[in-house]
Amino acid sequence: MQSVKIQYPPFVRANDSTSKVMFDVILALIPCLVFSYFAFGFVPVMVILVAVGSALLTEFIFSMIFWSKKNSVTDGSGIVTGILLSCTIGAFTPLYVVAFGGAMSVLFGKLLWGGLGRNPFNPALVGREFMTVFFPTVMTSGSIWYDRTAVNLSGINLFDNELLNGLFFRPSGAIGEYSILFLTLGGLYLLFRRRISWHIPFALFAAFSLPLYLLLYLGNSLSFSLGGLMLGAIFMATDMPSSPSTSSGKIFYGAMIGLTAILFILNGVNYEYMSYSILLLNAFTAPVNWVFRPRIWGRKLDWSNRLGQGVGITAGILLAAYAIAYLHQIGGIQYLLYVYIAFCIIRFNSLYIRKRI
Amino acid sequence: MHIFSMKGMTKKEKIRQIKDAPVLYVPLLQQIGQAALPTVSVGEKVKKYQLIGQAHKGLSANIHAPVSGVVQAIEDYPLADGTAVPTLFIKNDFKETEEERTIFRWEELSPDEIIGLIREAGIVGEGGAQFPTSLKYTLDGKRIHTLIVNGTECEPYLTADYALMEQHTGELLEGIRIINKVLQAEQIVITLEEQNKELVKVFAPFLPENPLVRLQILPNEYPQGGELQLIQSVLGFELPRNQLPRDRGVLVNNVGTIYSVYQAVARRIPLVSRFITLSGEESLHYGNYEVKVGTPISHLLEELHLSAEGKILVLGGPMMGKFVEYPDASFVKGSSGLLLFRKQVVERQNCISCGYCVEVCPMHLMPMKFEEIYRTGKFFKLEKYQLSNCIECAACEYICPSNVPLIQSIKEGKKKIKELAHAIR
Repeated sequence: MQSVKIQYPPFVRANDSTSKVMFDVILALIPCLVFSYFAFGFVPVMVILVAVGSALLTEFIFSMIFWSKKNSVTDGSGIVTGILLSCTIGAFTPLYVVAFGGAMSVLFGKLLWGGLGRNPFNPALVGREFMTVFFPTVMTSGSIWYDRTAVNLSGINLFDNELLNGLFFRPSGAIGEYSILFLTLGGLYLLFRRRISWHIPFALFAAFSLPLYLLLYLGNSLSFSLGGLMLGAIFMATDMPSSPSTSSGKIFYGAMIGLTAILFILNGVNYEYMSYSILLLNAFTAPVNWVFRPRIWGRKLDWSNRLGQGVGITAGILLAAYAIAYLHQIGGIQYLLYVYIAFCIIRFNSLYIRKRI
Repeated sequence: MHIFSMKGMTKKEKIRQIKDAPVLYVPLLQQIGQAALPTVSVGEKVKKYQLIGQAHKGLSANIHAPVSGVVQAIEDYPLADGTAVPTLFIKNDFKETEEERTIFRWEELSPDEIIGLIREAGIVGEGGAQFPTSLKYTLDGKRIHTLIVNGTECEPYLTADYALMEQHTGELLEGIRIINKVLQAEQIVITLEEQNKELVKVFAPFLPENPLVRLQILPNEYPQGGELQLIQSVLGFELPRNQLPRDRGVLVNNVGTIYSVYQAVARRIPLVSRFITLSGEESLHYGNYEVKVGTPISHLLEELHLSAEGKILVLGGPMMGKFVEYPDASFVKGSSGLLLFRKQVVERQNCISCGYCVEVCPMHLMPMKFEEIYRTGKFFKLEKYQLSNCIECAACEYICPSNVPLIQSIKEGKKKIKELAHAIR
């Protein structure tokens, strides 16, 4: 963050800022946090607070040490990362694991890449992968998701309809998934405020549902979490820095997340299909932006060229998806993370020495 | 993209005159291309409207004396943005002694004679580009079917064009008739912004005697007044940035330019003054003024008892105007306004790839890429993202929530590309 005297136009600016963007995301998530209290009282609330606190503390200390920056946490992105991370985990996750996840999400998800906006991967999901890899027994135990004795409200029977009541409130799954209805309303709010566009969630749902119905029609069954899908589609896949910026790119990106999620489920990735597919597509955001760049004013689109590039990138994504599914099956995902850790640290150091970060 | 316009502050204001400055600094470069060559020498007396700068060969334009007086000096003097250009200092004798001139009935002139008068009068595009108008009218055998008269003043705050259309409607239409004697266009479209559609009533009484002219209301979008955007809105096709409008049978002229053509051809008055808007949050006076080219900006401020202390001055509109480095620099032929804003510190943050800039870019570019490439110094990649197609309208930086220095990267990036191209050659 540098301050400069303005010399270049424009001399008027829209009344907007990064912190306003972040504030809107927080606002959209607040109903879900309220429902987590309805579900399990203060247990999930503590998880959220610890995740946010740990994320902010890490960001503050890191920015002080490496960039001598005191106001690094004021943009609110650390809060968003903390909340989103806690939305993806169980309410009874031990708090030290949560603290670890919060710290890793900002450190390896954002800071080592150069801070807000420079991160290619969704920080919350990066943090979640760290938790899974470094605390595998905790993260795979069923007890972190549900504790009958701690249930605050087991259901709110607002409607006459079992299904609607389930969508309105159901204390199961991850912290962010207790009220699918309010997840959706949060998404609509973000859409209304233009903080997300319809392209990614819409394409994601479409590309997820079509094969799903086809499979159901063919008599196969597929188990997935609707809450996880919604949370991923609305809040994770639309994360600004890690998703494409052009409309057509967003549609392609959303669709590929939906499709690879189905592929992951079919290949035995039972719980982490959304994380995997979003993180996988994050890695392809830059080429997606290039292939789906807008048509320049007054120029004709070179369809054959673009089509070729589109086919190429699709093949690359599918290949990578199968590679990850295979790695998952043989229990090798952690090695991928180790490589990621090494890469982040080396890259940061080499750039930091040259004062480029 | 819609921008809060602030035009209500000034659009109904009568165009006012200010007292002439005691010394005028008349730059010999008020057009794109080459500076004019001085035709007078230091110590020489000049009359008002006298030719003082002869257009250089090629792309250039004549310069005339806005007042009568004595040439004090001919030396380099900064324009508002700080670039030094050859400038004539004229000490005003306040006698208004005019150069003698013969007035012709323009109806009896041939197209070539009209173009000759426009060239002689040193007229350049007053929308900001300052392209010599006589060259624009030299069609090289191309036929023009549509003349678009740009009354779409899409820059916020500016109302000088509005005031001109409202207060000099007859002259403007006569200017259009003069131009069309040259162009022979089949239709003439005056474009207005939705927010200024009350002008339709102003134009209505004049339309019966101008059968080729029609009005078209365009949305309050930024940058609707850009040449390419106008052509698209009026004629429905996208003209590529590297093509000239005349190649597709179109010509776009700003209303100010056309008014100057009227002055030059019907009254034989060269381009020595123009209308500007004075506005901005920190301006205590709001209005439209006629200023003589060469009038120091500081003179206008003094006349109106305005102080620039703690404020920033902008010459032109808030989106594409120039930051005034030297308040003693002059108004030139392309200056459309003077805006006073509070001094502000812009907090630059990292791009968060929200994509707003991509959404608003009228040329369908990816502006955030220019900043990324410029920052990382890989200048040769700028053209991969088609930097040369950028019209620098600044819509991208206006909408940017992170205040990313997009326009700085774009302008400096274009310079870098030129340097690179030069180095290769």
